[in-house]
Amino acid sequence: MVLRASGVEKSFHRGVPPRRRRIEVLRGASLEVGRGELVGLVGENGSGKSTLMKIVVGLLERDAGKVERDGKLGYCPQVPLLWEKLTVDEHFELFARAYELAADDAASASESLLGELQFERYRGYRIEELSGGTRQKLNLALALMHSPDLLLLDEPYSGFDWETYLRFWEMSERRRDEGMGILIVSHFLSERERLDRIYELRDGRCMEA
Amino acid sequence: MNAIALGGADFLREHLRARLTLALLVAIPALFVVASASVLGEFATALGGSVSGDSASALGAGWAAAFLAGALGFFQVSSSREADRRLALAGMGAARVAVARISASVALGVLISAVAFLTLLLSAGVTHPAHAFVAILIFALTYIGIGTLVGSFVSGALEGSLTVAFIFLIDAFSGPGMSDSGGIAQAMPTRKAADVLIDAGAGQGSPVGDWIAVGLIALGALALAAATFWLSARPRST
Repeated sequence: MVLRASGVEKSFHRGVPPRRRRIEVLRGASLEVGRGELVGLVGENGSGKSTLMKIVVGLLERDAGKVERDGKLGYCPQVPLLWEKLTVDEHFELFARAYELAADDAASASESLLGELQFERYRGYRIEELSGGTRQKLNLALALMHSPDLLLLDEPYSGFDWETYLRFWEMSERRRDEGMGILIVSHFLSERERLDRIYELRDGRCMEA
Repeated sequence: MNAIALGGADFLREHLRARLTLALLVAIPALFVVASASVLGEFATALGGSVSGDSASALGAGWAAAFLAGALGFFQVSSSREADRRLALAGMGAARVAVARISASVALGVLISAVAFLTLLLSAGVTHPAHAFVAILIFALTYIGIGTLVGSFVSGALEGSLTVAFIFLIDAFSGPGMSDSGGIAQAMPTRKAADVLIDAGAGQGSPVGDWIAVGLIALGALALAAATFWLSARPRST
């Protein structure tokens, strides 16, 4: 297993007294992702998919439960988390340093991803100059550039055109076949056939569908 | 170390690529030092203070640096909080992201202070230039701490900018030479730096105690900013 989450609980407090209230989002959610597995996480709006993803990634603290990960982690957030005034190349450089990639490996990984996602011509552009779809391509590429063992994708294709959407699935399936464990948050049941397993998040718990 | 240097350079570049920031970097010191020196004297008289002439110009340079540094400190935290957290998670770590951010902030503070100081030097002249520059820098560093602290509590750009401006206004108009210097004025963060700057503008040196005080305040502000950057880059609980 590259990811095992068990009994994850999370609640938020919202509002100010006397209207302050506690919202229970996760009530013991558990899931597993193995090497070479493409797993989906589906659920209604507000069911807690992104909350669970952020807890699994380590961006959000959990109230209870356990999360175990094995190997290098790649994370593609739902909204591109980038710096508006930096260029595409500068983002690759910054993340290469964070991932501690050697210069040659970093150059080769960014070249490969720019080609695979077909946005080479934007490498000198600042983020503020890019379309939503191109930002999303960079968002995804940054999660992939160090060839992680576990890839966590939170609705990674919003803003993609149809061709890029199909290419995204080809890329994911190829990486899955190479041994990468992938967990993807999705809205679309039509993607069921592309996934090895699906968890549905309902009432704060994951049910294997 | 390279990751920190690269991150710091990128964070600095991000601010300097904003044309409006660059324009304000020149316009605000000019406004505070050149245009408002005489107005400050009138304000001071109305508030019960006595600052005027070269001291008012020198004080204007300090406030220009404080205002710009406070605003940039706020945006360093509020505009990139989530992206910084992602970078920390990718392997850079919250501590290294914080060091890169504080490096960029100090570099911005030095740049802002240099522009304010040059504006002062060119428009009014100053008898103790080294003293004046250090005091202006202390203004900037103090407000980097205040701006980042506001950024940690307030996420909205409008609300955060107004909060920084509100603190700045209270600080500025209760400072030495601007009021009767009693009560809350004694507790204002730039109080000692303003004393040093007014002395430098009037061609006088400052007591050693004032220099020690401004040094400690600047270090405290930077420590506060570093802690804020570190907390912002860590996993959150809500």
